[in-house]
Amino acid sequence: MFIHNFKYSLKILFRSKSLVFWTLAFPLIMAVLFNAAFSNIENSENFEPIDIAVVKSDDFEKNIIFKESLKFLSDKSSDKRFFDIEYTNLEKAEELLFDEKITGYLVFEGEDVSVTVNSSGINETILRYVSDEIKSIGGLTENIGKERISELIMSGNTDIDYERIFTNISKDIINEKQNIKDISTENMSYVMIEYYSLIAMTCMYSGILSMVLVNFKSANMCAVGKRSAVSPVKKIGMIMGSLVSGYVVQMLCILLMFLFTIFVIGVDYGENLPMTVLLSIVGSLAGLSMGVAVGTLVKKGDNAKTTILISITMAGCFLSGMMGITMKNIIDKNVPFLNMINPVAMITDGLYALYYNEQFNRVWFDIISLLIFTVVMMFISWRGLRRQTYDSL
Amino acid sequence: MNKKVIEVSGLVKEYKNLRAVDGLSFEVYEKEILGFLGPNGSGKSTTINCILSLLKYNEGDIKIFDRKMGPDSYEIKKNIGVIFQDVAVFDELTVYENVDYFCGLYIRSKNTRKEYIQSALELVGLEDYKKFRPKQLSGGLLRRLNIACGIAHKPKLIFLDEPTVAVDPQSRNNILDGIKKLRDGGATVVYTTHYMEEAEQLCDRIIIIDKGRIIAQGTSDSLKKLAKIEEKITVEVSGQAEKLIPKIKELNNVNDVVFENGLLVVSYGGGSDNIGDIIDLFRSNNVKYNKIYSERPTLNDVFLELTGKELRD
Repeated sequence: MFIHNFKYSLKILFRSKSLVFWTLAFPLIMAVLFNAAFSNIENSENFEPIDIAVVKSDDFEKNIIFKESLKFLSDKSSDKRFFDIEYTNLEKAEELLFDEKITGYLVFEGEDVSVTVNSSGINETILRYVSDEIKSIGGLTENIGKERISELIMSGNTDIDYERIFTNISKDIINEKQNIKDISTENMSYVMIEYYSLIAMTCMYSGILSMVLVNFKSANMCAVGKRSAVSPVKKIGMIMGSLVSGYVVQMLCILLMFLFTIFVIGVDYGENLPMTVLLSIVGSLAGLSMGVAVGTLVKKGDNAKTTILISITMAGCFLSGMMGITMKNIIDKNVPFLNMINPVAMITDGLYALYYNEQFNRVWFDIISLLIFTVVMMFISWRGLRRQTYDSL
Repeated sequence: MNKKVIEVSGLVKEYKNLRAVDGLSFEVYEKEILGFLGPNGSGKSTTINCILSLLKYNEGDIKIFDRKMGPDSYEIKKNIGVIFQDVAVFDELTVYENVDYFCGLYIRSKNTRKEYIQSALELVGLEDYKKFRPKQLSGGLLRRLNIACGIAHKPKLIFLDEPTVAVDPQSRNNILDGIKKLRDGGATVVYTTHYMEEAEQLCDRIIIIDKGRIIAQGTSDSLKKLAKIEEKITVEVSGQAEKLIPKIKELNNVNDVVFENGLLVVSYGGGSDNIGDIIDLFRSNNVKYNKIYSERPTLNDVFLELTGKELRD
């Protein structure tokens, strides 16, 4: 009976034009559109280092935080270079600014830093932003430094090299800051963010398959469901056969999605492709379970349920940053719970972590979260899945 | 009398503010076609759904093949076939695949299934449409496919819930002939309809239902006796017929005379060959008419007599 249901469910799914469109064609179309829309933007936005000047003075030499930060941000061997810096005097800096050879210059007076620019634009904004960031690091360094000095004094150490302590802390913080930026999505390519969201969306669309299959087995949903319900076969057995077929179809969609994006569009998923695929496989399970929940809990027609499911998925994609990565950061910062229960966010978060290669704990956390989500969805659907007799039809 | 196949006693089904089935009790006997006749919303489909354990019911007992019927009564379900009012087939599968899928829920052996499917398709006249998809079929053919899906596994008990709604006359006759063949093959049939002609033509016994209650049951002939009409004569009058009405009322066995829009309808409570008296009366009074015909009472007359409303109201 399992094979009978499995075989016919496969036939139904493969021959349903709307299902094939939503689960297979739509993600591929989106992939092509993303490629066309974002790859050019990305190429045109390759970051060129900003020319700035720093007015040399004793105050600058004493400001270890700024000195180390600017050294790091102008390191010519680094691919994260922000600035090309000319260390000069005030007159020369003004002349360079006047001749528009630099975006702006920094002047140090005591602990204060002033930024001088002569126009407003992206480079000027970046210069001001970086300057403010470095200042905030300075405050942090001071606090940590005070703590470390107190610890040294408390332990009876009187021979304290204050300058060395502050230099080390500054370096630590600058490096840490850089690491923090690495694991956020700020530095990630637009196109990769979109592809990751697309994978997550494709995973969640497996819900449409399971929802349709559950409907076909439920007497309160459609005439075919009534016919199945009066047959001498346990409903849960029939549904399981169908769901396995839905999952097989979904795996095929995921496979085609990866093949298409890798070999046709040329997306590079990096060294962790197997883990990326694993995350998609588990993500599809979560999508499938969400479809089962909508199928059993929502007492509406097929079209209404599909609309609900697509709306939930698109809302999930939006909150996880598909339409702008800032949204994910805002949610993570202000309403982290929302992304903790958002399966799309779980998938994209895992994929972002894989992109940075070293975040396997985070990936496993996301995989476990997705499995928990799946179990919860199946649990709340269980009564509806087993139900064979109704109050009304 | 044949063995009881279905026993329903005191069945009550209530929705929020509506008692859809109100204490129904009846039996269905082996190898008979039982008709459930009633207007839309009278509780026919609800009763069938309760019997099949698709719907929960508030009170009553239901036994099928002498065993209590419930949602997990898989042994009973093996011998039941159901044709619902709405067409229940998959648009994505061909005619053959649809029948095979539903038959496969009952019959595991592929070879047996092949034979059964062939026989079901022949019964409904779809053997030439095996590879067609449902959307390629006309409404009538689609209804026939719906029937084939419900009976291919050769059930002993078949429920047909208004299977001929919106079907052309040719398909309707084909369907009705097929149902008779099923009965002749040994199946028991429960047939719900609001078409009285179908019930009369097809059913061995009829239960008339209204507002969830049985208002009459019996054979077609025994039910017609409840109408208190033996014959109804209708005359399409072209002359002045009003003056004839008092004279017609004086004739033997005349129950009622109605004259409306040029149609004179005379109802007789006895006898069945009264048309000669009416013709004589028209001739002797020199009143012209275009057409005159006699009808036996219908189940609609019975329904009208018992409820005061037409069956199709």
